[in-house]
Amino acid sequence: MNDSPSSTGRSDAWSDASPEQGMNRRSFLRATAALASGLAAIAALSPLRELESFSSVEEFLQKHYKEMTPEEMAKVLERIEREVERQYGLRPHVRDYKPMNGVEYVYCLNLTRCIGCRKCVHACVAENNQSRNPEIQYIRVLKMPNGTFDTEKADHNYAPELVPGKGFYYMPVQCHQCKNPPCVKVCPVKATWQEADGITVIDYNWCIGCRYCEAACPYWARRFNFTKPSIPKDKINPDMSYLGNRPRQQGVMEKCHFCIQRTRVGRYPACVEVCPTGSRKFGNILDPNSEVSDILQNKRVFILKEEVGTLPRFFYYFDI
Amino acid sequence: MTGLVRDYCVFLRRCLALAFVGDWRYYLWVGTLTVFCLLGLNAYAKQFVHGLVVTGMTDQVSWGVYIANFTFFVGVAAAAVMLVIPVYIYKNEELHELVIFGELLAVAAILMCLAFVTVDLGRPDRFWHLIPGIGKFNFPGSMLSWDVIVLNGYLLLNLYLCTYLLFCRYRKQMPSKWLYLPIVFVGILWAVSIHTVTAFLYVGLGGRPFWNSSIVGPRFLASAFTAGPALIILAMQVIRRVTATAPAGKAAWQREGATAPWGVIRRAATLADLDLLARHLPELASVSAQVRQESLAGAMVLEVAAGDALLRQGEKDTDAFFVLQGQVVVKREEGGLTRITRGLGPGEVFGEISALAGTPRTATAIAEEPTRVLRLPAESLRKLMRNHQMSRIIRSRMTERLMITDRGLLTLRSIVQVSMLINVFLLLNEVFKEFYTGNLHVAASEYLYFGLHGHRALVPWIWTATGCNLVAMVLLVLPLSRSLRLLNVACVLAIVGIWIEKGMGLVVPGFIPTPLGEIVEYSPTLNETLVCFGIWAFGLLCYTILLRMAVPILQGKISKANEPGRKPQDSDAQLRALLKS
Repeated sequence: MNDSPSSTGRSDAWSDASPEQGMNRRSFLRATAALASGLAAIAALSPLRELESFSSVEEFLQKHYKEMTPEEMAKVLERIEREVERQYGLRPHVRDYKPMNGVEYVYCLNLTRCIGCRKCVHACVAENNQSRNPEIQYIRVLKMPNGTFDTEKADHNYAPELVPGKGFYYMPVQCHQCKNPPCVKVCPVKATWQEADGITVIDYNWCIGCRYCEAACPYWARRFNFTKPSIPKDKINPDMSYLGNRPRQQGVMEKCHFCIQRTRVGRYPACVEVCPTGSRKFGNILDPNSEVSDILQNKRVFILKEEVGTLPRFFYYFDI
Repeated sequence: MTGLVRDYCVFLRRCLALAFVGDWRYYLWVGTLTVFCLLGLNAYAKQFVHGLVVTGMTDQVSWGVYIANFTFFVGVAAAAVMLVIPVYIYKNEELHELVIFGELLAVAAILMCLAFVTVDLGRPDRFWHLIPGIGKFNFPGSMLSWDVIVLNGYLLLNLYLCTYLLFCRYRKQMPSKWLYLPIVFVGILWAVSIHTVTAFLYVGLGGRPFWNSSIVGPRFLASAFTAGPALIILAMQVIRRVTATAPAGKAAWQREGATAPWGVIRRAATLADLDLLARHLPELASVSAQVRQESLAGAMVLEVAAGDALLRQGEKDTDAFFVLQGQVVVKREEGGLTRITRGLGPGEVFGEISALAGTPRTATAIAEEPTRVLRLPAESLRKLMRNHQMSRIIRSRMTERLMITDRGLLTLRSIVQVSMLINVFLLLNEVFKEFYTGNLHVAASEYLYFGLHGHRALVPWIWTATGCNLVAMVLLVLPLSRSLRLLNVACVLAIVGIWIEKGMGLVVPGFIPTPLGEIVEYSPTLNETLVCFGIWAFGLLCYTILLRMAVPILQGKISKANEPGRKPQDSDAQLRALLKS
C-alpha cells in the first residue's frame, strides 16, 4: 500500500499518480471485502429459509391476555381456530373460560392407593394436546422404595409389566398450583399468573421463553417447548381453551392447568377421571361439603416440600 | 451550541471512519473475528428456526452455557469499576488513562451479556414484552426485570462516560467535573448492583438449595473483582504492545541514523568494573564474590558519545544498564509528547524493567555527555538480585520510575490479589457449610465435586477450576508475580478458574439433581458452542473497534485541531497520515 502523503510539493505526473493509484487499489480492495462480507452474512443467515411462518404480524402485536377487550379476544380466538385448522386439518372450538365465583380448586392424592399405572399421565397428554415428539408430560410418577421420602431414591423411568412393584409406593407429582407461586414471582413479563380459582396459567402468546419459571419451580412442574410440538392429526382434542390446552408454539413454557377447559365447566380433570384406583380427588375447598374439604379435615395429609413456603393447593394423604 | 453539536457529529463520524483504518494486522484480526461472528450467526440462525432443541439443554437442566457466560461477563463488566475507584477516590494518576479502557471493556462485556441473554430466549421475537412502558414489565417482582434495568443502565452510563471523556480529549478541553464525576460515583454503585442483582437471580430461588444461599452474592462480587481486573491486566498489555510497536519503514530509517553503533569503546566487563560500580552503589558490596564473578558472563562495558541512544522505547532487547561514569537521560514518548523522565548519574540502573519483565522498552535512554555504562544480560541482573539488598534497591528504583501502565498494572495486581483471597475464603465457607452439615441439600455440591450416583460430568471441570484458582492465588500472594510474566500466568489461571467455577460450575449443578431427585446431565452441543464462540468474537470485535477509536484520540493524533476543512470526512490517506504522525 502506498501511504506517501500527497503534499510533497512536487507536481510531476509520476508522483501525483502514485497516491491516486493507491487509492484506487484500496477502494477496490475495500469494495471487494465489503461485498464478500455481505455475501458471507447472507450465507450465514441462510438457515432462516426453512422458517415457516414463525409469527404473523397479528400474533407479533397481540396484547397481553389481561389487556385484551372481549372483542379483541374473540378475534384472537378466531385466528387461533384458523391456525389450528390449517395445521391439523380440523376446526377446533377454542374458548376463553373464566374462573367461577366462589370456587378455589384443591387436589388431593391418596398415596396409599396409587399403584403407579401412569394412566393419569397419558390421559393428561391426550386431553391437553401435549407434544408427542418431543414428549411433554405434566405428571411425573416417582417410584419410591418403602420407608423413605427422599426423592433422590426415586425411579423416574420404571417400566415393569406389572404395577405396583413389591416394596414400593408411587408418588405422582404435577403442578401444585401454589398459593405463593415462585414461578409467577420470577416471570419478567407477567406471562404467568394465578387466577381467582387458584389455577396458575400461562399466556402462551406472551411468554418470551426465558425459562426462569422453570428454574424457580420446586416441583419441576413446568415444561418448555424446545422445538415445535408435534401432535398426530387424529389425536387432536378439539375442545380447547386459550389459557389451557390449545396447541403451544415453539419456544414457550407450558404446565398443568387443572384441565381448565373441563374444570371451569364443572367437569373433573382428565387425570382424576381416568384414575382406576380413585386415588385422585379434586374439588372446591370453599365448599365445606366437598370431598377435598373432608379429606383435609379428616385425613393425615402430607405436603411435598412444605419448607419452601409455596403453600401448594395439592395435598398427598394416607388412608391408614 | 450549534458548534458543539457540529463538533460532536464530526467527532462521531471520524471515530467511525477510524474503525476501518489500520495496518494488515488490524485487518487480519478484525477479519478473523468477523468470520467467527458469522459462524456464530449461522449457528444461531439454525437455533432460531429449530428452537433450543439444538442445544444440550433439557427440561431438567434448563439453563446452560449461555446463561453461564452471561453470568461471567456481567462480572467482567462490573469489574471495570475497579479501575475507576483508585483513580477518582484515591486520586491514583497512574491509572487515569486506563479508566477509559476499562469502561470500554465494560461496554463490550455488557453487549456480550445482552447477546447471551437474547440467544437463550425461546421467543426472541417477543423481546418488546420486556420494554418498560410498552411491554408488561414485572418490576419490582422479578429479579430478571431488575437485571434488564441495571444492565442497560450500566451500558448507558459507561457509553456516556467514554464518549464524554473522549470528546473532551478530542477538543483538547478539560472535562468539566460536574458533567462526569457524579456519573462516575453513580457508576461505582451501579457496578456493584449489576453483579449483586445477577447473583440474586439465583439466590432468590427457594426451590434450588445450591443457589439459595446468601453467600452467593458476596462470592459473585469477589470472583468478579478477581477475574475482571485480571482480564484488564492482560488487555492493557496487549494494547500497550500493539500501540507501542514502532511502524516499519520511515521509523526504521530514523533509528538507523540516530542509534549509537554500540559505543566508541566496547569490551567485556571485569571485576574491577564492578568494584567501580560498588563505589556508587554500596549495596553491591554485599553480593558475594562468587555471584559477582558469575554475573560477569556476557557483561560488557560501553563508552558512548553525548547524544547517543543506549536503548529505545518499543525495542525488544532485555539488557540492563548501570551508569559507571557520566550522565544518561531517560525520555518517554507518550501521546505525541516527549517526557524527560529523569537524569541518571553513576551507580544508577536503567533498562531493568525490560530485563525483569521481558516487555519492550518503556523509554529511550540517551547519553547526555560522554558516558561509560555497564551492560548486563537479564540473567546476570537476576543473579545479582538474588541478594536481598540489591533486589530491594533495584525494585525501589523501578517502582519509582515505572511507566504509568506498569505501575497501573501492579495496582490492579493488588486488587486481584485481595479479591482472590476473599474469593477462596468465601468458597471455603460454602464448602464447609455444605459438606460438614451433610444434609440432603448437599446433593448438588456432591454432584459438582465428586459426582452423584455415578454421574460425574462436572467433576474434572470443577477440580481444574479449583486447581487454577489455588495456583493463581499462591502466585498472586508471592512477590514473584510482580514480574509481569508470572502475573500474566496468574491472571490467565484466575480467569479460567473463575469462568468454569462461576459459569458451568454455578449454573449447571443448580439443576442437578432436579427438585424431584432426577439426574440428567448437561453438556453443550456443537451448535451451542459455535453460538458462544460467535458471541465471544463479537465482544472482542466490539472492544477492538472501540479501542481503535479511543487510542488515537487519547494519543492526541485525532483531534479537533486536525479536523478536515472543506470535506466533511477524512480521506483514507489523511487519516493514515495522522495515525502515523
